Amino acid sequence: MGHKAGHKITKGFFNLILILFSFTCIFPIIWIFYSSFKTQSEFMQSSTALPEAFNLKNYISVFTQTNILQYILNSLRNTVLSVAVIVIVSFLAGYVLARYGFRGRAAIYNYFIMGMLIPIHALLVPMYVQFQQNNLTNHWYTLLLPYVAFGLPISIMLIESYISTIPRELEEAAAIDGCGFFGTIFRIVFPLAGPILATVAIIQFFAVWNEFSFALILVSKDTLRTVPVGLTMFKAAYTVDYPRLMAGILVTMFPVMVLYFVFSKRIIEGMVAGAVKG
Amino acid sequence: MKYVGLNNYKILLKDSTFWHAFQNNVLITVYCVIGQIGIAFIFSALLTSKWIKFKSIHRVVAYFPSTISAVVVGFVWMFIFNYDYGLVNSLLRALRLSDLAKAWLDNPDTIIFVASIPLIWQYIGYYMVIIMAAMTSIDPSIYEVAEIDGASGVQRAIKITLPLIKGPIAVAVMLCIAGNMKIFDHIYVMTNGGPGSSSMVMALHVYKTTFIKNHFGYASAMSIAILVLSLALVGGSRLLIMRPWRKEEN
Repeated sequence: MGHKAGHKITKGFFNLILILFSFTCIFPIIWIFYSSFKTQSEFMQSSTALPEAFNLKNYISVFTQTNILQYILNSLRNTVLSVAVIVIVSFLAGYVLARYGFRGRAAIYNYFIMGMLIPIHALLVPMYVQFQQNNLTNHWYTLLLPYVAFGLPISIMLIESYISTIPRELEEAAAIDGCGFFGTIFRIVFPLAGPILATVAIIQFFAVWNEFSFALILVSKDTLRTVPVGLTMFKAAYTVDYPRLMAGILVTMFPVMVLYFVFSKRIIEGMVAGAVKG
Repeated sequence: MKYVGLNNYKILLKDSTFWHAFQNNVLITVYCVIGQIGIAFIFSALLTSKWIKFKSIHRVVAYFPSTISAVVVGFVWMFIFNYDYGLVNSLLRALRLSDLAKAWLDNPDTIIFVASIPLIWQYIGYYMVIIMAAMTSIDPSIYEVAEIDGASGVQRAIKITLPLIKGPIAVAVMLCIAGNMKIFDHIYVMTNGGPGSSSMVMALHVYKTTFIKNHFGYASAMSIAILVLSLALVGGSRLLIMRPWRKEEN
């Protein structure tokens, strides 16, 4: 009897620890959420109390007095275009590498994979100099170049190893039925590789959306800035007005947060698959 | 531009800020390997046991911070550590421990530890999911036998689980080292290397040398040094962890 009660206590204790831990994972965001409705003086009086009223003043000011909408649109454009290019190029490259044995195949594959070993911060200076000299900084496409280049290695690796496991029979049957090369890979292989393509898209979506270093050094025009760099500009502007800064942060987080909580299972599996195989 | 031979590397060897930054990188890595992977291991062991309720909710919530951008994490923890309004000091004051309330990000002696906390916080869930995936692939009958033999929960975790998931743990440790050698965004937002240069990390030092001091040649030399140092550390740890069971796997 005493043993059973002890068991129950440990069980409750472990559950409590995990609940506390999970709570700390989201509480900072909840705190920022409700604080963003406070006025500055309200926040200074008590930083943890709930707001007296749902005051949208901070949000209105964030949208009307800053370029936040522009930053979000820039990030969105960069992310959508980079992810699309990465998925298509790495699908084509991964397919050819998985299906054809040709001279230099191993060399090309290893060349792509080596890209994963390079720490990007070792490249900041040379990339900046090259972009500067070739007049590539401060264009709408500037950031697409490094994002695609650094997104390709892991994507090609994941897609290549997945396509190798798909049986060839379907493609052969399609070829016999008169389907051409591009017809076969886009109508037959593309849908079959769907799960891995989704994984690649998820990994790259978060990588590009959150990327900071390249966005900081390669783009200095305010109308081209992305969300992470734009936020650091806010810091300088609103050092004392925390609630307003919090509103700005939440606005930029919102789209990704919704996406995460809707597709969490898929996203977790995809990102971990990428990390472990990479 | 002028050819200076190995001059930049000579300067590098004597650049105390760079080596201090490297030391900070290593220190942050150590805190993160212990904090992230250690805590993640414990929570994974709990979450894969039959005692815990709401497992999938815990997983989704714990993973959430690792999807947020490092800049946002930096900001959030800047608020949390704030002296007047931060959550840490508010909590301490509510517990009548006002004496312990500090300007957390302004003390050069503890700054590296304090600055590691957001990093640990952000990635526990990430490593937890990796380790949980490995743990759930272990055959449950092994545990049944151990339970009959009278092994306690802790014994089972250390003597059975840990050796069986060495491979994934090694991967996690390497990811953690590689990730922390290039740490930049968090520090840039939270402390910008300060106070003084007490929380300087290598990537931030390169950034400042390049874009504030405009010393491109020297910054390039440092970039190469970072490349070599991080490859050496990642490679070294890989050898260290991989060796003991290489025989068993073949």
